[in-house]
Amino acid sequence: MVEIRNLHLSLIGGAGAVNILRGVDLSVKSGETISIVGPSGAGKTTLLMALSGLERPSSGQVRIADTDLTAISEDDLARFRRRHVGIVFQSFHLVPTMTALENVSLPLEFAAAADPAGQAKAALEKTGLGDRLHHFPGELSGGEQQRVALARAFVANPSLLLADEPTGNLDRETGIMVMDLLFSLQKEHGTTLVLVTHDETLASRCNRSIQMIDGRVMEATGTPGE
Amino acid sequence: MNEVRIIPQALRLARRELRGGLRGFGVFLTCLFLGVFSISAIGSFTESAKSGLLADASGLLGGDFEIRMAHRELPTAAASFLATRGSLSHVVTMRTMVANDDGNKRILAELKAVDHAYPLYGNVEIEPTQSIARALVDDGIYGALVERALLARLDIDVGDKVKVGDAEFLIRGVLTTEPDRTIRAFNLGPRFMTSLDGLAATGLMQPGSLIYHAYRLRLPDRETVDQFRDDLQERFPEAGWRLRTWREAAPRVRFFLDRMNQNLTLIGLCALLVGGLGVSGAVRSYLTGKITHIATMKCLGAPGHLIFVAYLLQVLALGALGAGAGVVCGAVLPFLIKQLLGSHLPVPLAPAIHWQALLTAAMFGLLIALVFSLKALGVARRVSPAILFRGYGENTDQNPGIAIRIMIAFAVICLAMLAVLTSTDHKMAVWFICGAATSFGIFRYAAAMVVKLTRHLPRPDNPSLRLGLANIHRRGSPAGNALFSLGLGLTALVVIMLVQTNLDDKVNETVPSEAPAFFFLDIQGSQAEAFEALAKSLPGIGKIERYPTLRGRITAIAGTPVSTAEIAQEVRWAVRGDRFLSYSAEMPPDTEIVAGEWWPPDYTGEPLVSLTDDLAKGFGVDIGDTLTVNVLGRDVTARISSRRQVDWSTLDLNFALIFSPGLLENAPQTNIASIHVLPEDEETTYDAITKQFPNVSAISTREVMQNVSRTLDRIGTAFRSMAAIALLTGFLVLAGAVSADQHRRIHDAVIFKVCGATRFDILGAFATEFVLLGLIAGCLSAIVGSLAAMGIIKGLMKMPFTLHLTTIITTILIGIALTLLLGLLGTWKALGQKPSTYLRGE
Repeated sequence: MVEIRNLHLSLIGGAGAVNILRGVDLSVKSGETISIVGPSGAGKTTLLMALSGLERPSSGQVRIADTDLTAISEDDLARFRRRHVGIVFQSFHLVPTMTALENVSLPLEFAAAADPAGQAKAALEKTGLGDRLHHFPGELSGGEQQRVALARAFVANPSLLLADEPTGNLDRETGIMVMDLLFSLQKEHGTTLVLVTHDETLASRCNRSIQMIDGRVMEATGTPGE
Repeated sequence: MNEVRIIPQALRLARRELRGGLRGFGVFLTCLFLGVFSISAIGSFTESAKSGLLADASGLLGGDFEIRMAHRELPTAAASFLATRGSLSHVVTMRTMVANDDGNKRILAELKAVDHAYPLYGNVEIEPTQSIARALVDDGIYGALVERALLARLDIDVGDKVKVGDAEFLIRGVLTTEPDRTIRAFNLGPRFMTSLDGLAATGLMQPGSLIYHAYRLRLPDRETVDQFRDDLQERFPEAGWRLRTWREAAPRVRFFLDRMNQNLTLIGLCALLVGGLGVSGAVRSYLTGKITHIATMKCLGAPGHLIFVAYLLQVLALGALGAGAGVVCGAVLPFLIKQLLGSHLPVPLAPAIHWQALLTAAMFGLLIALVFSLKALGVARRVSPAILFRGYGENTDQNPGIAIRIMIAFAVICLAMLAVLTSTDHKMAVWFICGAATSFGIFRYAAAMVVKLTRHLPRPDNPSLRLGLANIHRRGSPAGNALFSLGLGLTALVVIMLVQTNLDDKVNETVPSEAPAFFFLDIQGSQAEAFEALAKSLPGIGKIERYPTLRGRITAIAGTPVSTAEIAQEVRWAVRGDRFLSYSAEMPPDTEIVAGEWWPPDYTGEPLVSLTDDLAKGFGVDIGDTLTVNVLGRDVTARISSRRQVDWSTLDLNFALIFSPGLLENAPQTNIASIHVLPEDEETTYDAITKQFPNVSAISTREVMQNVSRTLDRIGTAFRSMAAIALLTGFLVLAGAVSADQHRRIHDAVIFKVCGATRFDILGAFATEFVLLGLIAGCLSAIVGSLAAMGIIKGLMKMPFTLHLTTIITTILIGIALTLLLGLLGTWKALGQKPSTYLRGE
């Protein structure tokens, strides 16, 4: 499903180029769940962005579902995301001026799917927000906002779900509830999951966990959780 | 915290906040600057021009005192009396034909014959430089000075000879400055100046010819002019002269300046009102960015009114900055114009700091800043500190509270009162306020309706269209403000363009197709039959009308002197000077009698007069009342026997006053004729008649209309410029609204990209939104602007109104194009935003 070969990524900062990823190699099988752990600044989020096509690597290759993301244009990357990738962020990234239903409809609308509102409603009901369809993000709690984000990430039935610290802004209890939902949806859809987290417990729920240090993937740590 | 400490505390807070600089206040300051600048500039220019006119009043009148009369010279006794009181100058003016030496080109000119004392004030400037006495001297041939236009039209030069009547003249120079010639809207021809002896030699001074004699006096002390006037009227009580003192110089110019000032100020106010939306948007945007800051201050114990006063002080300080800059530039403008244009100006300009005009403009600016920012300040005052504990730092409560609503209402009343009290025409100012309030109401309602409608429209399949529509009705959308500001700016433009095109139509299209091609003046009685015979023999001639005519001045209405009679404003023109009079036994063709009846063809009874209906109403007289007219110094009184409806717009020959036979036949008089000619035969007709009758003045309707059109165009430029400022302000407001919304758009664009949107999808969504806004604003402006223009043309000007689709479509297209351009420029950053950078930044 995911093949990363010798991936390098440098960003130009105020003090010159900073090498964030320094030759990452990684394979993830279809339906597999994998967690990426490591200290801050190790390059976990950057790797996730490269996987979503939101960040272009300096060199190396990223292949997802037989598509080389490094070889296609920005707009083709957008089209690829609409078919194959769902993303969940730490700070939710909902559109504040759109209702929960409108937020979840977005990927379907861009994909010109049939009945986006109907599908979005079903996805929100599945996350337990059937009674919050027309609420704006500002009117929802943090846990509810992340559940909307989950519904949005899963609604187009992507083959790959990328989650960047999805419980980072939530209290422990809500975090557990959101992650239960995430894994349940992942299982139901058979989605491949790449999860960036600092939470060892959360990481242990994945099939595999890898550690990143200083832009490199170290050998796998822990044991497959499920 | 007690109330005494609020102000110093608020000042301290305001000073700290303003340390952050003026970032985010560009639109606020520019909108106020443009509005205040336009109002202060117009006010300063008008006052400077009026001061200039007053300072140069004696020069413009040609003396401290003037006696003006038609047809006849001043009696010797009166002339002698005048000569004992100061320096006297005699000037004669008339219209005449000037021919080149070969006699194959003739044009109508405004002849002015002057004596040796001319000018009593100021200097005549001539190219090549010489004295006027030298230029006009008779050294075997009479000298003449002309305007350059005369040389161009006759294709001659200085040193060439021309013919006027029976006399020949040598052009000795070009007149570049004539001190007693003020700005005139409509000149029938260029100036031809010669001496009184030269005029006498032309043989044009025939009895009844349309000649004006002006006797100007320079007094030892011009402040004694009123006393002198009383002395003169006491000594010659029945003279029937038209008297003017230097205080009354150029009354039409001053009236024109006042009207222009009034109308342009109202359009400037319109720009300022549109700019108010920019002020409101900027303050709202600024305070939205401060919500967490305000909430934090409240958490720390700051009361709502301290927050309100602190931010109000900032708004007032910024308002003073924007308005102050506008006032300074407006004050400087007359000095700059004088410096750059100098003697090319049509009116003398005496630049000075006119505090009242500047203060008025500044007051308008500050009141607008207050009216349009109070709501946002009131909302900020009520921000709940609880907002700190929720995500998305959003304040959903937009109610400013009752106290602020009362303050807004009070400020609006002050603004309206200022507009009315500083206006020369209170009625018009009230109409403007009603119109502006209605437009505001319409656009506010329409903007709300559009937002509501787009919410309920079926969702299109195309994602860009769907998102574009959703952008209009989504929460926090700038659509309402954009529709409001752009719509008002475009409405001002539509009104001015439609009024102008309708006036142009009236002048350029409607009139020439119905009007006579020529009017011929000063046809002597002995020439009348030969004139008609020649005209009838020429090709392409249609209707010929000819009437005997003489000039007279209305002196009493129903026995009451005009100086004390109650006369409606719209007909006061009829008593200001001499009018063409005529008499006829037969009722002129196409006459529509609305009251009374025409006299029998063989009528020989007491003198009767037929009056136009508008004059009768304006004078407050009816059938049976009397009207007294001074003809050649003699008062004649006639009883009104009928009222006629006259459509002056056809330009057919007609008279406001037509007398019954037996009263005026023996007075010196000439004939006036109008001729309809096919366009291709106009030149032949002009040449044949002016060649055979050199004393007859020919006026081409086409040329007059072109002249009128040019004048209207020049006046229109001033109005269009002001409308452009209103529109520019509208676009600034739109740009401000788009700019204030940029952060949200970048955020949305990034999330859209994350969700799989291509750049084209996002561009399409933004373009759909802005095209729709432009289209709706354009359509609304077309409707509101057309209705307002129709009200002005039909209601105020009593003229038929034509809806010009081209003007309207152009306006809509301008609306769409500029909205799209500004919108996309403002959102370009969002399109190019790299999602990863933004997501990291978050």
